[in-house]
Amino acid sequence: MGTQVAARRIRVLLVKTGLDGHDRGVLVVAKALSHAGMEVIYGGLHLRPGQIAKVAAEESVDVVGLSSLSDNHRALVPRIMEELKKVGLDDVMVLLGGFIQDEDVPVMKAAGVAEVFGVGTRLEDIAKYIRTHVRPA
Amino acid sequence: MFDKDFLEQLRQQQAAWAAAHQGSFEQEVKKEFVSEAGIVTRRVYTPLDLADAGVDYFEDTGFPGDFPFTRGLSPIGYRAGLWKIAQYSGQSTPEECNQLWRDLAAAGLNTVYAAYDLPTQLGYDPDHPMAEGEVGRTGVSLVSLRDWEIAFDGIDLGKTMVSTVCNAPGAMVIAMNLLTAQKQGVDLKVLQGSSQNDVLKEYTARGNFIFPPEPSMRLVVDALAYCSSVAPNFYPITVCSVHQSEFGANHVHEVAFALANGIAYVESAVNRGIDVDVIGPGIMWTTSHDHHAFFHEIAKLRAMRRLWARIMRDRFKARKPESMMCRLYSSVGGTSLMKEQYLNNIARSALAALAGALAGAQRIDLRTYDEQWGIPTKDAEITNIRCQQIVGYECGVGETVDPLAGSYYVEWLTKEMEGRFVEEIEKVDQMGGTLRAIESGYIKRTMLDDAYRYQLGVEAGEIPRVGHNMFRQDDDQSRPVRVYRADPSVEQRRIEAVKELRRTRHDREVSRTLKALRAAAAEPATSDNNLMPPIIDAVQAYATIGEMCDVFRDVWGEFKEPKVF
Repeated sequence: MGTQVAARRIRVLLVKTGLDGHDRGVLVVAKALSHAGMEVIYGGLHLRPGQIAKVAAEESVDVVGLSSLSDNHRALVPRIMEELKKVGLDDVMVLLGGFIQDEDVPVMKAAGVAEVFGVGTRLEDIAKYIRTHVRPA
Repeated sequence: MFDKDFLEQLRQQQAAWAAAHQGSFEQEVKKEFVSEAGIVTRRVYTPLDLADAGVDYFEDTGFPGDFPFTRGLSPIGYRAGLWKIAQYSGQSTPEECNQLWRDLAAAGLNTVYAAYDLPTQLGYDPDHPMAEGEVGRTGVSLVSLRDWEIAFDGIDLGKTMVSTVCNAPGAMVIAMNLLTAQKQGVDLKVLQGSSQNDVLKEYTARGNFIFPPEPSMRLVVDALAYCSSVAPNFYPITVCSVHQSEFGANHVHEVAFALANGIAYVESAVNRGIDVDVIGPGIMWTTSHDHHAFFHEIAKLRAMRRLWARIMRDRFKARKPESMMCRLYSSVGGTSLMKEQYLNNIARSALAALAGALAGAQRIDLRTYDEQWGIPTKDAEITNIRCQQIVGYECGVGETVDPLAGSYYVEWLTKEMEGRFVEEIEKVDQMGGTLRAIESGYIKRTMLDDAYRYQLGVEAGEIPRVGHNMFRQDDDQSRPVRVYRADPSVEQRRIEAVKELRRTRHDREVSRTLKALRAAAAEPATSDNNLMPPIIDAVQAYATIGEMCDVFRDVWGEFKEPKVF
């Protein structure tokens, strides 16, 4: 019993990159991960890279899930990775979802994104990936 | 609507028919056919269903062009010409966008449905740090009157209608539209066009808000009042339901929440002492009409038109028919399309166009076959224009007005939808109106629950999506020949353009007009203090959207989202 209590729930920050306000997708993922037993913090809209890193650090999350629908990921994801490093989150798992064109996937992975979940992804596949690859601190 | 003896005879015969075919009924693939909004579709409809639902021909259906406009706004429907063919489009710089819009106009487009980039929609100029990575991506970057002059060069605003999609800064965009038309020599009294300018749905469904709801509503009402005299054929607001639909709301929530927003705008004007018949004719709607649940979409729009007419007449005591008309400038959202086997989307678009036409829409706008792959290409946009032309010209849907009227099913469904919209609007009224329902998070949470249920339904295969959760092709390698990619140099070019503008305009005029704007915004709204004239002055001095929004941000503050999750 004692060890089970000590096992912290996986903490996930979900947030939109940039200025796009279409947050249906990211909120549906938030609901799914929460039903899958994770602690989900939804960062809301219009946060800049530095603000995203700040929330991630304050909430000591295991995973940062970014949602991009407006083709801003090529400009903003590398900036977000930089900011995460600055606040000491070098090894936080970063996931990217939304409209990510095929040729951008390797570019995003090279920038440090662990996995990309594009159009048509099943919710349970995201939860499964996180559970398999994250060991809560 | 039907004779009592006839209905009794029908009731007996229908019961006998049902008893005789009981065996066949057991072969049905589902126990119940239920819509996402919970409406159960019956096996067959007869006059009995209309009688039981209380449908009255004169009260509920009536004639085209007459109250309650169930059968359409015009007595002749499309017999005088098709609906307006629109295509949501816009990208990169004003110069490049000008070429795109000229090409689309040459293909038969009669409404430029202008997509703005995100920085402009959020009130930031291209050189603002918040704009980084987003300039000219999801739409065109148009921040000043200079940009408008370039973007619409050679496009006659007296002939081509412009519908702008920019909401929080909507009043400023209207000023640019009016001034550009004036410079082209178009008489504002006959100028057609519209602005989306529906800020309320930004708080719940689209996320491009800047200011808190109250001052945002003030800008909308000011634009409605101003245009009613200066540009009476221009629609300063387009109340939307398509974004609620795209957020995942079911049909009932989608329309009820849009109508509740419409009520809030009218109420806000009336509370300021403005006659409902002054602003009523300036309101248009952007609804959704996708191919899913085809008959539900059509019934939904007929019911919406009827209910808005009743709301305007009974709740707001409007007297002019034009105030009661729910003008359907209808659209389709990209969520109805699939990434897999992308060419299938052309069939979906054509069916969506048919749904819009059968509902009697004033305008139809479709999403492109490559929408799930990125920003639409011009080829795909032209294909959509052709889809509409095929439905309009080849199918001949417009030969008679409201061809589905009198269908037992469609009339029953229209009545059923209307009843459910009324119930949901009453719920919002009881919460204290739409502003309270936005602030408490009720509206967004309700739609999110619908969206989540939809996603689970698709993943479970209960909601059919061809190519995605049925008839998948595992070896499917299809992808659009060309996928649009934004030119990374656009951002820098736009930054230079706005800097150049600031160097060449008259600084003193800009600061004088911005100062006047600030003073007007700080004073309460009255009939003598309409914000449109000072906005027009600032735009005329080539003040930018970013500069004007900074003034308003300073005076009014910014909206803080309620927690919905």
